[in-house]
Amino acid sequence: MVSDTGLRVEFHESLDDLRDDIVRLGALTVETIGKGTAAVLDRDLHAAQRLIDGDDVIDTLAISIEESCYRLLALQQPMAGDLRFIVCALRFASELERSADLMVNICKASRRIYDVTMSPTVRSLVEDMSIEAASLTRKAIDAFADADEGMAAALDDIDDRLDELQVEFVESIFASHEAERIGLRSAVQLALIGRYYERIGDHAVNMGERVTFMVTGWLPEHAAVARLEMRNRRTTPGV
Amino acid sequence: MTVAVVLLAIALVGALAMCVTLLRRVARAEVAVAAAVSAAEEARSVDPDDSLPRLVAALDALSLGVVVADVDEVLGFRNRSAEEILSSRDSRTIIDRAVRELLVEAVRGEPGEREIDLFGPPRRTFLIRAVPLAGASGMAVGGGSVAVIEDVTERRRTDQVRRDFVSNISHELKTPVGALGLLAETIDDETDPATVRRFTERMGVEVTRLSRTIDDLLELSRIEFADDLFIDDSPIGAIVEEVLARFRGSADLRGVELRAMGELDVVVAGDRRQITSAISNLVDNAVKYSPDGAEVTVSVTCTADAVSVTVADTGDGIPARDLDRVFERFYRVDRARSRDTGGTGLGLAIVRHIAHNHGGEVSVRSREGHGTEFTLTLPVAPKRPPLNDRSNDESEVTA
Repeated sequence: MVSDTGLRVEFHESLDDLRDDIVRLGALTVETIGKGTAAVLDRDLHAAQRLIDGDDVIDTLAISIEESCYRLLALQQPMAGDLRFIVCALRFASELERSADLMVNICKASRRIYDVTMSPTVRSLVEDMSIEAASLTRKAIDAFADADEGMAAALDDIDDRLDELQVEFVESIFASHEAERIGLRSAVQLALIGRYYERIGDHAVNMGERVTFMVTGWLPEHAAVARLEMRNRRTTPGV
Repeated sequence: MTVAVVLLAIALVGALAMCVTLLRRVARAEVAVAAAVSAAEEARSVDPDDSLPRLVAALDALSLGVVVADVDEVLGFRNRSAEEILSSRDSRTIIDRAVRELLVEAVRGEPGEREIDLFGPPRRTFLIRAVPLAGASGMAVGGGSVAVIEDVTERRRTDQVRRDFVSNISHELKTPVGALGLLAETIDDETDPATVRRFTERMGVEVTRLSRTIDDLLELSRIEFADDLFIDDSPIGAIVEEVLARFRGSADLRGVELRAMGELDVVVAGDRRQITSAISNLVDNAVKYSPDGAEVTVSVTCTADAVSVTVADTGDGIPARDLDRVFERFYRVDRARSRDTGGTGLGLAIVRHIAHNHGGEVSVRSREGHGTEFTLTLPVAPKRPPLNDRSNDESEVTA
C-alpha cells in the first residue's frame, strides 16, 4: 500500500515530468520555426515537406501532455498552485501545438510561391520575424519553467517588435508588388506568411499571461471582466 | 573480619563482572573491526583501487555526454556533459528522446547511432552512438547499455568546407578550360571570319578569367607565407586614396560614389603592398555589389593599439547563413551573380590572410536589402602570429 506521503512524492514527480514535457514541446516548436524559415528562404521543397510531416511528432507530444494533465486532475485533485500549474500546462500544450501548425502553414504558403524570387528586403524581414517569433516562444517557455512572472509580463511589450516587423513586411510586399516584381497572388501568400509569424508572437504572449495566472492567480482578462460587471451594474435599473 | 571477607568478595565479583563486560566489549569491538575489515576487503574486491569516484570524475571531465542504462532499460548514470545537454531548456533537450530510444535498442543487443541537426540558434549537430554492455557472465549483452553524445558541429562544418572547396575549385578552373576547348574546336571548322573573330574574342574573355583566378591563387599562396612580410610605416589615408583612385573609373561608370572619411592621417606598421591589396579587395567587392547611383564609404577609426578600416556599401547584403562562410576560398553567395561581376571567389580569403599575417582580423556585418560592412582591423604595431598558429587559417581546412 502506498502511503499519503508516497502519493504526494509521486504527484510532484509527475508535475516535474509535465514541466519537462512542456520544455521539450517548446524546444520542438522553436526548432520548427528555424527549420521552416530556412525552408522558405532556401526554397527547399524537401525540407518544407519534412517539416509538414514532422508536425505529427509535435501533435502527438501535445496530446500526450493533455492526457497527463487530465489524469492528474482526475486522480490527484490538485489545489491552488498545483492546480494552476496543470491548467497552465494544458494551455501551453495547445498554444505551442498551434504555433507549430502556423509554421506548417508558412511552409505550405511558401510552396505556393516556389517560383517567386523574394527581394533582399523581404527575405531579411522574413528572417527577422522568424528570429523574433522563436525568441518570444523560448522566453515564454523559460518563464513557465522558472515561474518567472516578470518575464511573462514583459512578453506583451517584447511582442511589439514582431508586430512592427510585420507592418514593415507588408509595406515591403506592397513595394515589390508596385514595382511589378511579384504578382498579386504571391503578394497575398507573402502577407499571410507575415501574419503567421505575427500570430506565433501572439501565442507567446498568451502563454505569458497563463504564466502570470499560474504564479499569481490573476489574468489580464480579469480586469476586463471586472469592468464589464461594473458597466452592467450601472446600467441595470434599481442597482 | 567477616565484613572484610564480604567486602572482598563483593570487590572480586565486581572486578569479575567488569572483566566480563570488558571482555564482551572487546569481543564486540573485534567483531565490529572484523566486519569493517571484511566490508572493506569486499569493497576492495569489487572496486580494487577505490577507483569508482575517480572514474566518475574522469567521465565528468569528458566533453562527450555519457548516459548508461541498466538491464531493465532504466536510465541511470549521466556524466556532467550529458546532464547539461539533456536537462537544457533549449533545443538540445530534443536529443533526450533519441538517446532513450537508442539505449533501449542497445540493451536488447542492437547498437545504433543517430545524427541530429538542431537549428538552435546556435545551429549544432550531435551524433549519438549507443552500444550494449557485456553481462556479468561474460555474455555480449545483459549488462545494460551506454550512449555517447558528441557535438560534431565543427567537424561537419569542416567536412562541408572541404567538400565545397574541392567542388568550387574544380568548377572555377574547369569551366573556362572547357569553354576554351569547345571554342577552339568550333573555330577549327569555321570559315566565316566574323564568326571566328567572335569566338576568339570569347576565348580572350575565358583566358582573362582563368588568368585572374590563377593570379589570385598565386597571390593567396604568397600571402600565406607570412615570412615575406615587409613591415614599414604604412599611411592608411594614402593607401585608401590610392585604392579609391584605382576604382573611381569603374564606379563612375555606374554612378557609384566613393568616399573616404575618418582618421585618415593614421599610420600603421605593416606591409603596405598587402594592406593595399586587402583594402582593394574590399572596395572592389563593395563597388561590384552596389546598385547604380549608390555610395561606398571607406571610414578609418583608431584606438590606442588598433586601426579599423570599414568599407560599407548599400547593396543587397549577404544572407545571415552565408556570413560565416564568405571568407572561404571560392565560396559564392550567389554563384551566377559572382561570375557576372568577374570575381574569382578568392578576394575575401586574401583579405583574411593579410589580416592574420598582421595579427589583426576582418569581420563582416550585413543585412539583406540594406548593405554590408567589412571591417579590417590591424594592430598599430603588428603582432606576428606564431608560424604554427593556423587555427583560423582556411588552408588548414581546405588544403
